[in-house]
Amino acid sequence: MAGMTRERIAAIAFLRWRLFVNTLRTTRGQLELISRIIVGLLLTTGAFGGAFGLGAAAWYFVSHGEPEWIAILLWPVFAFWQLFPIFSAAFSETSDSSTLLRYPLSYPAYFLVRIAYGAFDPATLMGSLCLVGIGIGVAVASPHVFPVALLTLLTFAVFNLMLSRMLFAWLERWLAQRKTREILGVLFIGAILSIQLIGPLLRRYEHGNRSQWLRLAAQIIPAERVLPPGLAAAAITQSSRRNPGVALTYFSVLCGYTAIAALLLSARVRQEYRGENLSESGPSGAAEPIDKLARGWALPGLPGPTTMIMEKEFRYLSRSGPMLFTLIVPFFMLLIFRSNGVFPHHKPDLVFPAIAAYTLILLTNLIYNNFGGDASGIQFYFAAPVKFREIVAGKNMAHASILLLELAVAWAGVSWIYMTPAPDVMAATLAAMLFAAPVNLAAGNLLSLYFPKRIEASAFGRQRASPTTVLASFGIQLAVIATAALVLWLTRGAGTYWLAALIFLVLAALALVGYTFALRQTDCIASARRQNLISELMRA
Amino acid sequence: MDVPAVSTENLTRRFGQIVAVENVNLRVSSGQFFGFLGPNGAGKSTTIKMLTGLLAPSSGKIDILGLDLLHNPVEVKRQIGVVPEGMALFTRLTGWEYLNFVGRMYGLDRATTRNRAEELLNFMQLADQHKKLITDYSHGMQKKLALAAAVIHSPKVLFLDEPFEGVDAIAAGTLKAMLQSMIARGATIFLTSHVLEIVERLCSHVAIIDKGRLVAQGSLEELRAGAGGDGGKMTLEDIFLRVVGTTQNTGRELSWLE
Repeated sequence: MAGMTRERIAAIAFLRWRLFVNTLRTTRGQLELISRIIVGLLLTTGAFGGAFGLGAAAWYFVSHGEPEWIAILLWPVFAFWQLFPIFSAAFSETSDSSTLLRYPLSYPAYFLVRIAYGAFDPATLMGSLCLVGIGIGVAVASPHVFPVALLTLLTFAVFNLMLSRMLFAWLERWLAQRKTREILGVLFIGAILSIQLIGPLLRRYEHGNRSQWLRLAAQIIPAERVLPPGLAAAAITQSSRRNPGVALTYFSVLCGYTAIAALLLSARVRQEYRGENLSESGPSGAAEPIDKLARGWALPGLPGPTTMIMEKEFRYLSRSGPMLFTLIVPFFMLLIFRSNGVFPHHKPDLVFPAIAAYTLILLTNLIYNNFGGDASGIQFYFAAPVKFREIVAGKNMAHASILLLELAVAWAGVSWIYMTPAPDVMAATLAAMLFAAPVNLAAGNLLSLYFPKRIEASAFGRQRASPTTVLASFGIQLAVIATAALVLWLTRGAGTYWLAALIFLVLAALALVGYTFALRQTDCIASARRQNLISELMRA
Repeated sequence: MDVPAVSTENLTRRFGQIVAVENVNLRVSSGQFFGFLGPNGAGKSTTIKMLTGLLAPSSGKIDILGLDLLHNPVEVKRQIGVVPEGMALFTRLTGWEYLNFVGRMYGLDRATTRNRAEELLNFMQLADQHKKLITDYSHGMQKKLALAAAVIHSPKVLFLDEPFEGVDAIAAGTLKAMLQSMIARGATIFLTSHVLEIVERLCSHVAIIDKGRLVAQGSLEELRAGAGGDGGKMTLEDIFLRVVGTTQNTGRELSWLE
């Protein structure tokens, strides 16, 4: 029986391996692998950095006789491990291991597969790496504590894995709904951005009533000690103080938590094993009566198809929580700049250019994967009696309008939070945008045609465009920013930004010529690549 | 002489070394309800994609209503309606918005688009769902909407790739009623389907493609006569099986099946 289970798990591993290998058959797949390796290396470097920092802190606490402080290292690891997978469900459609149910897998084998599906997600890998770092820090500081620390941290890792899978399994039905994923995505990005506000808030209140803080800490600490991160830290602490009995007690309670998490997970997975679909969303809402039906847009001077493409783009945008949230981020960043004192109040010249550049970068997701949200709708563009360049132009106009709107909001925000940008700063910034926008739009159009990738408009994508596009767009943004910096550096002696504005206008004219040329090519390119575009965007 | 609604000359499509469609010569007269049949992987969808401009032929010629598709793509597309394999829906729009979008893309003015969209939603029994996003529609509702979008500009030729796939009997009835009323008004319909009973009931003319080659073409009566045997009593399924051939696995068994 065990041999058969092993065979099946090996078959599933083989399946996933072949799925990966088969993606390498195309040049696009190979390019994406290279991009993934580069991104993976960056993430791994970050994770190793975190592990090193936590390890150093653990070493410091243990070698200075304060191992109980390890708890403050374990709590963030715990929080990240638990919250990231839940929020990251908002980043993608839930992976569905239940498709394996039709095969004759035993329950233990299915349970193992279910765990294995989550064992290689970023949260698990990064959390594990951080625990390894803490373990090494403890071992270096106090070798005799290492065996207990190893066992404790291993149990803590298993607990985290079980708990995260358990939470995910119980929340799956909820997460299956599009709206819920959108809300969680917005909360996630909001939480990430809010972290930036913690520093300024702490600084503001650090001179407050100290005894109040101490009283709060005194209330929290006992509660903290009976929860898994506190228990793991306490087990290590008691071991380092040579209280094996007490350490064993803490460790046993931690094991108890792990067992409860595993049992709760098992209860849910068993339901799935018996045939319940945990990620099945309920029937959609009740029918609404037909009432006042609005006509489509009519914009003076623009042909119907271009107007309709613009309307469609705006409607898509208005229904995508993630996209809408992206648009308010610049204003949020202004608040963060202000509260962190990034730009001194007396010298706000660079705020508006900086926030304008940031806004353009945010629009990369829209611009560089133009057709990603259209999915099977791409076929319509080829079936409709419209030149492809008109469709692309409609999309570009929609995106340019959004950029313009964003710049107006940024200007209002800068004027309100700092001060109204000087006329020469305004002119230079807008002229620079007139240069940067066509460059980005032209490059975005070409990359959208050559490297299309279907996206789910309701989900926050970790990888919105294809990895190749992400790297290429990164290079283009760098080139544009370097050009702008060079212009500013060359004109620094003028004492005003008017000269820079003039140079940017010349560059903008050249960029516009390039954009027009690239736009004309889209008919030919789209026609030549229609098969690839359609198959790539219709891929489930 | 009547200009055919659809005609092809040596239409060929290769994917690398594989020839998906080879030297297909189709002729569909105006006003015909034309069924295009074939086994899985025979080249039906590839052909319909080429006829509607969704895929470039490797060689050959396509004329729609006497216009060369390759040289007058925009003009041809103005005259045709398409429900392709993936339905070509924009799923983050409502049904109402989608019909408005399609109508305007085909050059209809706002008022006409509005009137036709409303009429189509009512006809397809989707009017009470007009605020729902298409992504939340059932498969059958999406098929009905795709067909509504394909006819909003009153096309002269309608191409439908598997229009009845995954559609329940009630929705299929609605679709059939609409298609028959279009034929009555002089339109030409070119459809692919695996449901031979539906094709037999709806279509006056049929072509059968197998392994990329056209193996039969004509009216049902002509095909019955050409199939030999007791032609008068043959169903389309009989003709299909005789033309495509089904003897490959007959009499063979899997050695390990008890």
